[in-house]
Amino acid sequence: MPNFLETTIDKFIFKVADDRFYNPAGLWAQAEGRRIRIGLSDFQQQRSGDVAFAEIKPVGTQLAFDEEVAIIETIKVNISLGSPVAGSVVEVNPAMTDAPEVINLDPYGAGWMAIIEAEHWETDKAHLMNPQTYFTHMKSLAQEELNKG
Amino acid sequence: MINQNLPRKVAIVPCSGIGKTYGSVSREAAYDVTEDLRPDETQLVSLAMLVLGDKSARAALAGAPAVTIDGCKLACATKMVLESGGTVTKDYAVLDVYRRYKQFKPQGIAELNEGGQRLARALAEEIASVVDSTLVGSGGEKNG
Repeated sequence: MPNFLETTIDKFIFKVADDRFYNPAGLWAQAEGRRIRIGLSDFQQQRSGDVAFAEIKPVGTQLAFDEEVAIIETIKVNISLGSPVAGSVVEVNPAMTDAPEVINLDPYGAGWMAIIEAEHWETDKAHLMNPQTYFTHMKSLAQEELNKG
Repeated sequence: MINQNLPRKVAIVPCSGIGKTYGSVSREAAYDVTEDLRPDETQLVSLAMLVLGDKSARAALAGAPAVTIDGCKLACATKMVLESGGTVTKDYAVLDVYRRYKQFKPQGIAELNEGGQRLARALAEEIASVVDSTLVGSGGEKNG
């Protein structure tokens, strides 16, 4: 179980799991050896709204760093998400088809999207944010949203 | 001769979310059911009036089955019907309905796009079936 960095902005509570890395779009990446599990951050899932559909690139797809790995359709927006790691998709969470709302319910756990076998994880990781940096980035984005009214 | 087993009209209670696409779908579906598909077997109950504690709105729920249509996971319609002493026969969440009709993508707020209108109609037809089975199950007769 990860620990969380947590902040309350307006009426919203946002959590950042401290055991993984993040890209600016709000995808997290967690290494399990060469296998990198990816998913959507709590902030990004709350910002995007309830997920209606999640289309993840199928097993076997070869991805470059930041190449589209998923399209999420929510009640508010359609989002194209770039992969936080280069490599091959080796597993897709079956819940993405059957019950994509799990992204909203448990973004850091059961709501994982896919596992990618990394080609150059150490290189890719250097382009991602650590939890504290993402936490700061996320707070800045949340404050911007709040200021928009 | 009056059939004493005939249940009261089924109450249709949609989301009151103004400015939200899924709220608009819920209301459009409610209008489709109550004004077009099953006007004699259903009655529209305003969620806003229930929130205000309006006596006639509450009276419409007393002893009558209710179908609720929620626009988001807060499920205000369902919660308010239960708080008002009503009985929810079936609760719909527009997002779940949309997942079954992916081809009808709803957009727009004041005026729904064609996808939204078709989604509302599909939902209304599902509700009409629920109304029919509810009335038959209660010993009443259906006309639809």
